[in-house]
Amino acid sequence: MRRNIRVTPDGTRDLLFEECNARRQVEQKLSRLFQLRGFSEAMTPGIEFYDLFDSGNPVIPAEKMYKMTDYKGRLLVMRPDSTLPIARLVATRLRQAPLPIRLYYTQDVFYQNHSLSGRNDQEFQAGVELIGCKGDKSDIEVLALAAESLKICNAGDFRLEIGHVGFVMSLVEEIDENPDVQDLIKLHIENKNYAALGSLLDTLKPSSTAQFLRNLPRLFGGKEVLSAAAPLCTNPQAREALDYLNMVYGKLCDLGLSNHVIIDLGMVHKNEYYTGVIFRGFIEGSGDVVISGGRYDTLLQRFGCDLPATGFGVNVDSITKIKLARNEVKPPFPPEFLVHAESGFETEALKRIEELIQDGVCSEFSVFSSLEEARDYAVKRKIPKILIISDTEKIIDLNSGEML
Amino acid sequence: MRPIRIAVTKGRLEKNTLELFDRMGFDTTELSDKGRKLILPVYSPKGSVFEVVLAKAADVITYVNHGVCDLGVVGKDTIAEYGGDFYEVVDLGFGKCRFALAAPNDTDFFNGYATKTVASKYPNVARSYFESKGMDVRIIKIEGTVELTPLLGLSDAIVDLVETGRTLKENVLKVVEDIMPVSARLIVNIACMKLRKLEIEGFIKKVEEYTSVSAN
Repeated sequence: MRRNIRVTPDGTRDLLFEECNARRQVEQKLSRLFQLRGFSEAMTPGIEFYDLFDSGNPVIPAEKMYKMTDYKGRLLVMRPDSTLPIARLVATRLRQAPLPIRLYYTQDVFYQNHSLSGRNDQEFQAGVELIGCKGDKSDIEVLALAAESLKICNAGDFRLEIGHVGFVMSLVEEIDENPDVQDLIKLHIENKNYAALGSLLDTLKPSSTAQFLRNLPRLFGGKEVLSAAAPLCTNPQAREALDYLNMVYGKLCDLGLSNHVIIDLGMVHKNEYYTGVIFRGFIEGSGDVVISGGRYDTLLQRFGCDLPATGFGVNVDSITKIKLARNEVKPPFPPEFLVHAESGFETEALKRIEELIQDGVCSEFSVFSSLEEARDYAVKRKIPKILIISDTEKIIDLNSGEML
Repeated sequence: MRPIRIAVTKGRLEKNTLELFDRMGFDTTELSDKGRKLILPVYSPKGSVFEVVLAKAADVITYVNHGVCDLGVVGKDTIAEYGGDFYEVVDLGFGKCRFALAAPNDTDFFNGYATKTVASKYPNVARSYFESKGMDVRIIKIEGTVELTPLLGLSDAIVDLVETGRTLKENVLKVVEDIMPVSARLIVNIACMKLRKLEIEGFIKKVEEYTSVSAN
């Protein structure tokens, strides 16, 4: 017996009709936005060498990647992330390009999730990478573009949350030298596990920083978060990160985004390559992280190219899902005409279709031998008119039953 | 927007959660005599509605992970076994017990070089415990009464939840080592926490308030 021929692998599915329309709409809106903002498209291979992603990144651990081998027995993976391949591409092929380099992509990434968790193993992402510039201007541009991306998809109210890797990092480093303890503190902050964080800090030397860390997971929200944190934050590096966030937040508010931007000082991105401002986006009605990004100034060094960079990726599938759940996307329309040739007039009919589609009129060729069959089919498929081609042209309007 | 939805683990934690809601002044009438309804409304003293869904422990995590429930009440045991991306905001202080490694009374588990076999309902917890000890063991997943497996000769030891230790004693087993304390936790979907900050924070604050009261 042949198995698995009528099903798709766990975590994947076929898309049909309005599902395709919804995905394409979101994809096209985003690519158009990125193009208009001066980004050029890059496409990277669907399979890559495992080595590219073998960095101990907790977001893409080895066991989550789909693996296979090439003809030499070298380990390959199905692309689990687009930022690393683009970093490689820039570091190898665009070394001479004028800076900054602006690239965007719309492509699938693949992860192996736990079986039957209801998560997708294949996720369509659209994103940008802005490579070769440091500093506040590029951070603000990318954050504003991330907000614009969520807005333009028109999928509902959204939140963009911003944080800074350096903020938590410098506080945690100050409090204990042991990297294992540091990781544990960061984990508890990331998970907003107030109880575990409190008991862990109880075992350490009491200090004002420990007291501040205890409260850190609660420090998310609007401007009040920054003013609450400022007087308590004595660590100079953390202070610097805080001032930077304050400036960025102010600029985003100037852009009219104050209702959408929140600050989470306790945000610890699990992705190890981020170095500065980090952010995530959420849309009402979805429990997913729909946008994720940040600054990664040291990533390109791995490829022998010392360029700072920042960027983000949008989870197109999550946004598509919201739009479909709200019935916002229509299935494709049936063609306007079914063009039926009487015997011997097939080529004329095909020529006529060419004319019609030149004018943008969607027309389908009838493969039926009799007009009755063609008519039955047109009714079922909800095609409103049949165009009959013989010596003369006749149109049957199926709605009125009229012969024109 | 739909009311805040809370997934509560059926059984013992459900009873404790209900008591907590009562202490918080919530009207839990419909939750106590639930009939056949699956989504049950609970009313706060201020009149706002919350929806409660009763579920098996692992499903609470699935619902919160997907964001179809905003909050969840679930044991640390289930969190440790299944993991997931969510905030774990309050230790509710009830449903207390611990994970422990237990072996037959007359054996010395850590002695010898032979690879040990360990049975557990929580293979991931067992795996990471032995990993942290740098020990390579064979783990067998058991769905029912794990205490039976050393008696049958299937395993050298078990990793299981221990409350009083009575079941162990009755089966001539002893605790070799405690692995981690367990209690019920309040978990929150990450996106919901950010999208409905005020409501969720208000709820958490209230839960914290009444949790500490009961602990004293």
